[in-house]
Amino acid sequence: MSAHAYLVTKQNAYDDLQRRTLAGIPCDFARLIYLASTRDYNSGMYHHEGLAARFGPVQAREALQACHRDIFCRLVSLPLEGLVGELELYVRMSHEAPGGFIHAWQKLEPYRVAVPMETDVTMVQLFLSNIRLALEVLRFRQEQSQGSPPAASLLPLLDR
Amino acid sequence: MPSLALAAVALFAFALLMLRTRSEEAEDRTTREGTSAVQRSSARGLPPAELALRIFSPTDRTFIRLTRSTQLQRLYEKERRDVALHWVRRISHEVRQIMRNHRLSSRQSADLNVVAETKLFYQYLQLRFLCVLLLVLIQIFGPHALVDVAAYTSALGQRIGQALPEVTRGRRVPSSGNVAA
Repeated sequence: MSAHAYLVTKQNAYDDLQRRTLAGIPCDFARLIYLASTRDYNSGMYHHEGLAARFGPVQAREALQACHRDIFCRLVSLPLEGLVGELELYVRMSHEAPGGFIHAWQKLEPYRVAVPMETDVTMVQLFLSNIRLALEVLRFRQEQSQGSPPAASLLPLLDR
Repeated sequence: MPSLALAAVALFAFALLMLRTRSEEAEDRTTREGTSAVQRSSARGLPPAELALRIFSPTDRTFIRLTRSTQLQRLYEKERRDVALHWVRRISHEVRQIMRNHRLSSRQSADLNVVAETKLFYQYLQLRFLCVLLLVLIQIFGPHALVDVAAYTSALGQRIGQALPEVTRGRRVPSSGNVAA
């Protein structure tokens, strides 16, 4: 395959992934988690059966990787308010109790594995910091809606 | 005043962008072989200026302030201060790296342009100074140091402006009284 044909196939795989799979996911944060889940923990390689069957394993892998990076960049560019909205939607999508979800995410920090490989270090720092803040905002809102004072429960987090 | 401070941040970010562009060009030269253009562009992430504006943007602070939670505000200040300090330290490190590479390559250069080299060194010193200044400001005043310092300066200027006529009036009264006496 020539270099040009290779790039065209890769672009087609990218477009197909956007159109068929990612368009059906309601928010960028959920798309990020989905794309991170297509990556093997041990090798860091992306896998997608359908995409690989249609466009070839290498093109599928690179399309997944490119989509992952693009969505990550979009989320880092979002103002904090936008990220809180994304996370709120993701919590609702999970069908878990919001309190339990937020608690688990604050303790386990599973969002760390959603970061693409070889990303700018400062971008990663900003993303992780914004997620921590967004979770805290959600917890604050939840406690406000339940009518309990949020002050005491927030203090241990500040010691981190 | 805050808009002036934002403009200062934007200018600083622009200067950094220019320096980063040079480093990226050098990086590109070394990684050109075996890497496609699409791969390189997606690996870069956000442009440095955009990232800087995102870190120092006052929008997030306003959003957090609207919650009226002191704990959230403290957490925000801590988180954003850490990211801002990390960004400045990294930029400072990269600038040093670029200059070290440039120094090594210019040693082998036969036709060294003294004027251009002096100008570059002057710009380097300016950037290093700005980095140190930013580090100090962020550590003392927080992540929105420039905006805060500008707002503080503005408020102080207003206070001095308001206090000045009173001081002058306060001095004039006894003096005129003395004359009358």
